[in-house]
Amino acid sequence: MEAEASLHELKRLLDDRCGSLSWQEAEPALCGYSHTIWLEVERLRCLARVLADSGLVLEFITAVDRGHGLELVYFFSRPAAGWRLKVALRTAEGQPAPSICDIYPVANWQEREVFDMFGQRFDGHPDLKRILLPADADFHPLRHDFQAGEQHDGDHFDLERD
Amino acid sequence: MQGVSDYMSGLGQAVAGFLGPDILALVLGLVLVLLFIQVNAMFLVWAERKVAAHIQLRIGPKEVGPFGLLQTIVDGVKLVAKELITPQPVSWLLFVLGPVLVFAPVMVPFVVLPFGPNLQVRDLNVGLLLIFSLGGLNVLAILLGGWASNNKYALLGAIRSVAQNVAYEIPLLLSAMSVVILAGTFSMQGIVEAQEGVWFIFYQPVAGLLYLIGAIAETNRAPFDIPEAESELVAGFHTEYSGMRFALFFLAEYTNMFIVASVATTLFFGGWRGPVADGPWWFLLKVYLLIFGVMWVRWTYPRLRFDQLMNFAWKYMIPIALVNLLLTGLVMKLVGAA
Amino acid sequence: MLRATLTDDTFYLNLGPQHPSTHGVLHLLLRLDGERIVECEPIIGYSHRGHEHMAQQRTLSQFLPNTGRMDYLAALMYNHAYCLAVERACGIAVPPRAEYIRVICAELNRIGSHLLWFGAYLLDLGGITPFLYAFDDREDLLAVLGEITGSRLTYNYCRFGGVARDLNQAFCDGLEAFIPKMRRRLADYHTLVSKNIIFINRTRGIGVVDADTALAAGFSGPCLRASGVDYDVRRAEPYSLYPELDFEIPTGQNGDCFDRFMVRLQEIEQSLRIVEQALERLPEGEVKAPAPQHPTPDPGDYLFTYESARGRVGIYLVSGGGRVPLRMKWQVPSFNNLSVLPSLLPGTLVADTIAILGSIDVVMPEIDR
Repeated sequence: MEAEASLHELKRLLDDRCGSLSWQEAEPALCGYSHTIWLEVERLRCLARVLADSGLVLEFITAVDRGHGLELVYFFSRPAAGWRLKVALRTAEGQPAPSICDIYPVANWQEREVFDMFGQRFDGHPDLKRILLPADADFHPLRHDFQAGEQHDGDHFDLERD
Repeated sequence: MQGVSDYMSGLGQAVAGFLGPDILALVLGLVLVLLFIQVNAMFLVWAERKVAAHIQLRIGPKEVGPFGLLQTIVDGVKLVAKELITPQPVSWLLFVLGPVLVFAPVMVPFVVLPFGPNLQVRDLNVGLLLIFSLGGLNVLAILLGGWASNNKYALLGAIRSVAQNVAYEIPLLLSAMSVVILAGTFSMQGIVEAQEGVWFIFYQPVAGLLYLIGAIAETNRAPFDIPEAESELVAGFHTEYSGMRFALFFLAEYTNMFIVASVATTLFFGGWRGPVADGPWWFLLKVYLLIFGVMWVRWTYPRLRFDQLMNFAWKYMIPIALVNLLLTGLVMKLVGAA
Repeated sequence: MLRATLTDDTFYLNLGPQHPSTHGVLHLLLRLDGERIVECEPIIGYSHRGHEHMAQQRTLSQFLPNTGRMDYLAALMYNHAYCLAVERACGIAVPPRAEYIRVICAELNRIGSHLLWFGAYLLDLGGITPFLYAFDDREDLLAVLGEITGSRLTYNYCRFGGVARDLNQAFCDGLEAFIPKMRRRLADYHTLVSKNIIFINRTRGIGVVDADTALAAGFSGPCLRASGVDYDVRRAEPYSLYPELDFEIPTGQNGDCFDRFMVRLQEIEQSLRIVEQALERLPEGEVKAPAPQHPTPDPGDYLFTYESARGRVGIYLVSGGGRVPLRMKWQVPSFNNLSVLPSLLPGTLVADTIAILGSIDVVMPEIDR
């Protein structure tokens, strides 16, 4: 009950400050989150501000590449209340997303990882560079079109990062 | 043992009569000292490993020789046989000089250590001063080695070492001075003789404790092993040394341990005096018991942080040692007046 | 920004990737002013093996052995988490006995992980003996777990729908001896370490992370709880048997290294309680329910969270309806926990760096995946 009330409150706040959003109900017992919010790239920072002000934490950021642009996925939750929101947005090929690492410090490395794995750029990130792969890698391994083992055998990596 | 020492001094006299007494006694003494340093270090390394092992629920070396006693010899051979690696960017002369300089001064104090009433190479009237002044050289050698290595870890280790040794030499000296006031002499033999009946540790418990703490710090052993703190500085000042050069640092460390324990025995625990049958066995027994204590401490405590270590020396040990020295002087004056 | 030519008296120190105290291949680029840290940049990825990419190349069953190789200290927990995630997404039922066995093994694994951390942390602080004590205890534990899992480190014991094999007598006997011994040893640890003045001075007030910072930085697990937030996935989003089990969530107040240390030691105690309860209530029956060889979830995305030894593990599975998943993201606790380092270190000493890094308890292969 309490969880529902706090969710309702959040909904009202978001509608107030960021305009109406499309909420999709999900089955928490099956997929682990209660609602999905689909939104456009421009409104992400507004939403993140409201969520941060309401005490939600950012769990992680990831992306899914289905072959037609990237789907960025953010998971926010309130540790005590036990509910979780999935915020999803689509970016076209080469379209940058706004960085939220000034609002959520945890987003700093998370965005770097998404950049590293998918090549997604984040506007406003203080130091957007590769995090898990060597700095001179010329590919993004989790992209739809990436084929492992072709020309990227790893031997040519210059492990001197600079 | 008494027989042996009598025999040795007899032999010494016999040969001395032939060649000139002073030079020969010194040469013979130095040869014995060098021999003793090797055997002592070998035994201590073995003992350290055994003590550590048993404290840590292990067995320790047991394969080479009885109870693994020859393990250190085997390790020594390995170290001698190893390649001496000199990294490219070091300044060669200083780099090579480091281990030599660290080892040379630790031999000299043996000249004045009073193993027994007759078993001493030379009883200088400034024996204690000699030991402390040579102890001061150690830090120079470490600084030299750490600086010449051209390695940041070695440099940090050397810096730490200098700060630590400078800080801990003061309480060490001050606490030794309070004993000197009691004994009225700098001669090592004289100090032991002054402890007829009562050991100085009972007159000077504070100085004794300060000396023991300072001695652990002076020998760079845990919990004061910050110059070579392996979890922070890899190996500290001797990071770049390998083979026999490393072995010299190692040898010097264990010999130093013996020296500070000998000085503690002489100053506070009556030297070669014992309840019955005075002699070198009491001296060695006390020294090795003290070293065992030092090992026990090492394998029990975690390491202090650099600034905590310095605070401990400057804020607590030195003021306490100073007050202790003043009180000793005052009491001695009053007793003397009365 | 760290590459600018230095004109002042500061200098760079590469702490790692080969260093005794970086717990694997972590590389910290430190800018030092004497022994004081001015700037710190962690460089990670040295043990990146591309687990997430591998997950996209094979079926869910084929990926199961990979799970134990991310966090090698919590392999059973990763096994467990992965199986629970797939079972929930695919609707596979698990016999009660199997679930009890899994919880016992996972909690034993948590104890083993904390024990290793305890030893390694004291080693970081220069205390060598506790390290060997901890390894002595962990050895008993590994022997017990080895009786049923057949391995010591990278376990692959859980299966979709159960576990690989049932408990045996040797396991039960070993456990019966281990639990009281571990309790005695915990008391020893407190005498030897937690009450030691040098240890307290080295850890009290060092690396303080308050609750708000911890939440914003994405902390989870013992690190977050040490800052006073009683968040534990086993309570917040109960899974498996945890709703039925009686255990406490230890928390700290100050969020310093000492609290992180105490929270972990207390968690060992709580895990022992959980294991005892689970053993007591262990039902009879099957340990493996029939499950499809290659489970296939319906199209959609599934997030499953699990409390591992280091914090919240999130398994985000996106299925396109085929046997091979479209995407599998592993959100690992050490990744977020480590990311706070650049803001925590400036102003501290080199020795504190080691104390703070150790208290965060990072496992590099987990971070690098």
